Amino acid sequence: MVLLENDSFLTELTRLFQKCRTSGSVAITLKKYDGRTKPVPRKGHPENYEPADNKCLLRASDGKKKISTVISTKEVIKFQMAYSNLLRAHMDGLKKKDKKSKGKKTKATQ
Amino acid sequence: MPYFQTWEEFARAAEKLYLTDPMKVRVVLKYRHCDGNLCVKVTDDAVCLQYKTDQAQDVKKIEKLHGKLMRLMVSKESGAMETD
Repeated sequence: MVLLENDSFLTELTRLFQKCRTSGSVAITLKKYDGRTKPVPRKGHPENYEPADNKCLLRASDGKKKISTVISTKEVIKFQMAYSNLLRAHMDGLKKKDKKSKGKKTKATQ
Repeated sequence: MPYFQTWEEFARAAEKLYLTDPMKVRVVLKYRHCDGNLCVKVTDDAVCLQYKTDQAQDVKKIEKLHGKLMRLMVSKESGAMETD
């Protein structure tokens, strides 16, 4: 699992989407993160870690390659804008909804 | 595992689930360009909420929900709903 900076993560995520255009899927996972870098200590052992409250972990994979990044409050605004644009730009293979338009012929899918 | 039929129900349930235990909940997004569909899952490993779509109009909704949950996660406690 490769932990990247926010910008590198976006670059790599773009590459994942481009790679998977012909086959395969892109899986993205989002989870709140408290900044732990050590495993949770066993019972009876003191927990020396102060959980941070302002981070989240974003992971992406195409089944083979895995990337991840940590986002905190300071970065979220900038990151979220770039990330939204990225998602919208790449998730464009879906069907467009055909509303009843005036007299335009639409192809009926069988 | 049940797939929600409407986006509104899914979005409401997802946010509610997240607010019950932010640390446990994760959001998974799976996109298949070759099949032209997108699946979203929100789970705390006990309850699982899923939504599947092949409609382009849902991409924006899903991306907005994703962003909203992201912002909730990085904001300190008392994260009330932010206006877009």
